[in-house]
Amino acid sequence: MPGDRLDPQKMAQRAAQEIRPGEAVAIGTGLAAEISRAVPPGSGAWLLAESGAVGYRPATQSVVVDASGAPAAIVPGGVVVGTVDAAAMLSAGHVGVAFVEAAQVSASGDFVHWTTAESLSLAAPGFSVDMASGARRLVALMTHAHEGGISRIHQECTLPIDGAGCVSLVITDIAVIGVTESGLELLEVAPGWSSDDVAAMTEAPLAVSDSLCEMTFDVPTLQWPNKVYESADAAVADIPDGAVVNVDGFGGPGGMAHYLMVALRDHGAKGLTMISNTAGIAQVARFGAPEGVTPIDHTILVENGQIGHAIATYPVSPSINRPSAFERAFLSGESTLEVSPQGTLAERLRSGGAGVGAFYTPTGVGTLLGEGKELREINGRSYVLEQGILADFCIIRGHKADTLGNMVYKGTSRNFNPVMATAARTTIVEVDEIVEPGELDPEAIVTPGVFVNRIVKRPEGFSPYL
Amino acid sequence: MSSASGSNLTKVYDSAAMALAGLEDGSSLFVGGFAGRHEPEALLSAVVDSGVKDLTAICPGGGPAFGRLVEAGLVRKLISPLPFNPREDGPVKRAWESRQLELETQPVGVLAERIRAGGAGLGGVFLPTGAGTRFAEGQEIRVIGGREHIFHPAIRADFALVRASAADTLGNLIYSGTGRNWNPIMAMSARVTVAEVDEIREPGGIDPEVVITPAIFVQRIFQRPS
Repeated sequence: MPGDRLDPQKMAQRAAQEIRPGEAVAIGTGLAAEISRAVPPGSGAWLLAESGAVGYRPATQSVVVDASGAPAAIVPGGVVVGTVDAAAMLSAGHVGVAFVEAAQVSASGDFVHWTTAESLSLAAPGFSVDMASGARRLVALMTHAHEGGISRIHQECTLPIDGAGCVSLVITDIAVIGVTESGLELLEVAPGWSSDDVAAMTEAPLAVSDSLCEMTFDVPTLQWPNKVYESADAAVADIPDGAVVNVDGFGGPGGMAHYLMVALRDHGAKGLTMISNTAGIAQVARFGAPEGVTPIDHTILVENGQIGHAIATYPVSPSINRPSAFERAFLSGESTLEVSPQGTLAERLRSGGAGVGAFYTPTGVGTLLGEGKELREINGRSYVLEQGILADFCIIRGHKADTLGNMVYKGTSRNFNPVMATAARTTIVEVDEIVEPGELDPEAIVTPGVFVNRIVKRPEGFSPYL
Repeated sequence: MSSASGSNLTKVYDSAAMALAGLEDGSSLFVGGFAGRHEPEALLSAVVDSGVKDLTAICPGGGPAFGRLVEAGLVRKLISPLPFNPREDGPVKRAWESRQLELETQPVGVLAERIRAGGAGLGGVFLPTGAGTRFAEGQEIRVIGGREHIFHPAIRADFALVRASAADTLGNLIYSGTGRNWNPIMAMSARVTVAEVDEIREPGGIDPEVVITPAIFVQRIFQRPS
């Protein structure tokens, strides 16, 4: 006689072991909802629900709810976002692991969500398709078999699937099974169960791992990874030649990462593609800078010969008599340029950061900026197709960040920063002040720490002029 | 546009019914809320009282107040990622099972991006969500960046019924906790956005740095009865 079936709490504890420090963790409904209770308070990861709670814990009464609508509380360092932004975090790959309750899993990692199975003539997926498509790893929780003993694990799913080849790990009430390219592999068994017991209840071929072991249920308290760098130099040190970099700033000195820009100049990486609003016009437009000083902006990278290509909306001087450094570089053939309308550039960045591959916008139809692009009529209006963009790095400026990277801005220095922060693999932020998690109002945070990889404090009195 | 408050400039309405003026048979409406919480209850009650029918509702988080609208037989079609909890009985489930309600399901992120696209003036978006599932069947698919993406047209509605914790008299909105949910994108994407709020303040009474829905997107404001 095999051992007992694990209860949902034990399954959730085993599942919680899959969470890595510092990552965003999407928690679904049903059995998956238990995981929020299995994670120790203060553990260093953000639990994310489609309700818009990013960094939550179960609570008794609150204006915050989890994916099931159960009361929750935002933890220090958590943030409230809209549902569209929670879904976008997933879709763009910012979520490390997602947990769903599956009704079926196949040998190739297809799965059927419980809501699909239980609303059969409708097949309603909720958030499960989003989690399957977007999370870097998908873990399925399920009872191994129906009450009558019929396996929920199949060679092929028998119901409409919610994700194709998405599941990487299956945690059941008797076993932990990995999904590999060659099929299912039994990794762990529940106490009292043997590999033969599990295989007998599994309706798909099951290889047994050489390192088969018994499931454990301790859940470690994770430490947040450190994101605070000592200096701007250290934070940009690994930006390679040829990287694509979002560089913030609207025009004037507000919201410009002067300290990081100087560090990137000194670092010297060449052949960069720079995505920015202006490609640097502060030195010619002045924006109220006193006589005799040289404003720091993108120009210092251009003049240092680092910009091979720019994507920008306003890459010209306001005065024809005083061309900007970028105009000179463009005219001399040193740099190439792609011009994007301002709203289109913002939308392209937002798309890159939200997992939107491409979109149709009416902006630019019938102009030079629409030439060579696909046109499409939708409901009687013409649109051009524009692509999402995702940079390798992003250097931006905020006002305050907590040590987890949650950030607020000041006035219109917000500008392109929030969308740029989402649209890079490594986002580096420069702020006036670094505070502890919980010191920023989670309702007022503009850039969630999920998007921020490195933080540097702008030295007090750092001059925006050379 | 007339209003209950006298001035033809004010967005503040004294009655929920007046705030819904123009909602007619066959209208489409967004309804904010999540998992049955934070519903615009007073506005939904006023829709029931108005008797307008054949509504298309995009309501991903309906609760009891939306349930009464469905029970009254006023909703012809509902679009939602999960229109009802399959493990619980409820009016939406009953209406579906008795074939009195048409349902369309979409993944959360797809529906959300379609609404946002509508609000941002886009014609449509290509999303990777649901590739290889029934949500890709019969759809236009393109490979972008080596990955299959599915085309989704933007979605707009005649009305949005949103719920916020506070508005100023110009319609700038803030929310409380996960009461934010679908409301900001719905407010952007409707022809007429009606906000049901707990509190109305003077302009300047909400920190401009923390406004979530700018007043530009809000046409009418109704203060919930306390």
